[in-house]
Amino acid sequence: MNTKQEPQRFVIPIGPQHPALKEPGNFQFTVDGEIVTKAIVRLGYAHRGIEKAAEERTWIQDLYLIERVCGICSHIHALAYCLAVEQLAHVEAPPRAQAIRVLVAELERIHSHFLWMGVSGHEAGFDTFFMYSWRDRERVMNILEKLTGNRVNYSANVLGGVKFDLDQEQIASIRGGIDFLEERTRHYLDVVATDFMFLQRTRGIGVMSRAQAEIMGAVGPTARASNVARDVRKDAPYAAYKEYPVDIILDERGDLEARFEVRLKELFESFHLIRKILDTLPGGELTARMPRKVPAGEAVMRVEAPRGELLYFIRSNGSDKPERLKIRTPTICNLTSVVKLAIGHQLADVPMILAGIDPCFSCNDRSVQIRTSNDPDGRMLSWDELRQHGIDFYKRLEK
Amino acid sequence: MNSEEIITVATGVVKSWDWATETSRPLPKQLDVKVKLIKELVPIIVGLRVKRLGYLAAITGIDLGPEVGEMDVLYQFCPGDVVITLRVRVPRQEAMLPSLCEIIPSAEVFERELQEMFGIQMLGLHTTEHLYLPDDWPDGVYPMRKDFDPQILSH
Amino acid sequence: MKSHQNFGQQLLKSLKDWARVSSPWVLHFNTGSCNGCDIEILATLTPRYDLERLGVKLQASPRQADILLCTGPVTRQARERLVRIYAQMPEPKYVVAIGSCAISGGVFRGCYNVMDGIDQVIPVSAYIPGCPPRPEAVIDGLVKVLASIHSPGHKIPSDILEGALDPEKVAA
Ligand code: SF4
Repeated sequence: MNTKQEPQRFVIPIGPQHPALKEPGNFQFTVDGEIVTKAIVRLGYAHRGIEKAAEERTWIQDLYLIERVCGICSHIHALAYCLAVEQLAHVEAPPRAQAIRVLVAELERIHSHFLWMGVSGHEAGFDTFFMYSWRDRERVMNILEKLTGNRVNYSANVLGGVKFDLDQEQIASIRGGIDFLEERTRHYLDVVATDFMFLQRTRGIGVMSRAQAEIMGAVGPTARASNVARDVRKDAPYAAYKEYPVDIILDERGDLEARFEVRLKELFESFHLIRKILDTLPGGELTARMPRKVPAGEAVMRVEAPRGELLYFIRSNGSDKPERLKIRTPTICNLTSVVKLAIGHQLADVPMILAGIDPCFSCNDRSVQIRTSNDPDGRMLSWDELRQHGIDFYKRLEK
Repeated sequence: MNSEEIITVATGVVKSWDWATETSRPLPKQLDVKVKLIKELVPIIVGLRVKRLGYLAAITGIDLGPEVGEMDVLYQFCPGDVVITLRVRVPRQEAMLPSLCEIIPSAEVFERELQEMFGIQMLGLHTTEHLYLPDDWPDGVYPMRKDFDPQILSH
Repeated sequence: MKSHQNFGQQLLKSLKDWARVSSPWVLHFNTGSCNGCDIEILATLTPRYDLERLGVKLQASPRQADILLCTGPVTRQARERLVRIYAQMPEPKYVVAIGSCAISGGVFRGCYNVMDGIDQVIPVSAYIPGCPPRPEAVIDGLVKVLASIHSPGHKIPSDILEGALDPEKVAA
């Protein structure tokens, strides 16, 4: 046996659940003592082959497939797809439909941010926060259900428009819900900005400078928290965002605290926008006529999903099926930044850094393997244990 | 910069490679650059990068089918509201492309996707491990190619 | 003597059943779902629906779980892990397939990387349909599984079933 004491090196795979992507991921972190020295990502646990399947189905069937790329942002996926196909077919959805699309997209952003907030609170060991924010989230779910008939996978879009209309009663209930949520958001903003315990886990952790964010291609709130003004709603307005502009929320600190604040402040923009849409909802048709076959051509569509820019590329060959459909999800862009950011950080901070890009951690409580470099079999840790490790680590610091 | 300015700058960059490229504008806010010589691809991207037009949004592969025997690879850059697309064409047999990882770290995930799904070898990318496909995926089978037959997986 | 033994075993079994039904620990595994189902499972555990009032606890490790909640169509990469997790669970174990994907592959049926449903890989005790199923449906399904755990002739402690789907209690 080697008697010389070598610093303990562990490899820790985390995953494979990472459901915000088409593919849940598996991360492997090599640590030296407490410090992460290397990070590797492995996707593919939820790789279903959607892009290939889309080539084998018709334009209309694809809509339902696309909606199920991600259950959290199903509307925005379908929206990007519809807009791209409409662009190819030279069809424009009527203004009322576009406004309703934006309305649902913003409601979806609210639900997604609340969800994320709760889950990352949970990662920090702040379960009260988790329970409260999920309780409040049910209000958005109610609204969405009332509007579309579904809690998840709302299926609001059809090619050429939307499926449902708004009536006065719904408008009133949306307003009520929004008022309630706005107040709650104010409270949460207060909590994340002042709670001492929580700040310990977020302030100065996972700092990404503006230059780093740019070179690593970060998108969405993750980029905006590092002062990169990148928001498709503003840069290249789609659907009805031209009529209903939003302000970009920026923060220059670039740490986890900034990411929390940017997302929460974004919610106020969403509330504001929703109210404005309800006030000035244009009248008219809900759908435009769509041909069954889509003319040959190429379209690139970018939209702002809750997690950042989502890009769809579609090539049509003039038949009733797409020739190629490419989906670039926001998390895949932010992944690079996580993998690079984790290096040099405490292992205890890893759960929070991962949660910070909002990869949606609803179900990552699976095998985490810790393995020394000379013991290939390693030791298994669950994600929960790693999370607990983080919580205990900070408790120890307290003393 | 507004979209016109961005396109002017980008066209200016690409102009220096006049002999190897062909530019067009399919839509007012899109710039399409066909790169005819693969070895000029990296210098052009560096050129765009220097002008800060290098936010790489996606790299898309498209198989044109065994009859054509070629594949398209699209590099999409999205500065502001403009989409700049660099197109290259590679043969289906022994397809090779230079990797951009050195200049754009976020290119890695896209390149590994190309490598796995289309079988395009990325020169300078140091890994051939699977990122998306399962560990027991058969070698030399590329699911996004048009002639991919799922039957091959049934045993 | 024999009947005494039988009685003892019977008692022990009743006791175990009682414990199992009163406090089942569930493990949730995503085998490649779109995570619509997963957020609904999580929603079921949070205050509005509060599955914990039935004694259900979400458990992170398979070794302590009684019920495996599976979502998603089982991708090739997740298959091996699913089998491993199933093997690690102690007997008796129950598997619940949640969502159309887990039942048959759903919209992803026929995609090259999916196995078309949980029951292609491991045995399933209950199916909860929907895309995704509502939290009420998840509760209903779980309660039915719990009912089946009880040997025939035994009644489920009424306080467990009572009010599980009571709209008054479910609505916040
Ligand atoms: S059943 Fe529907 S919601 Fe559930 S994982 Fe499948 S597609 Fe998603």
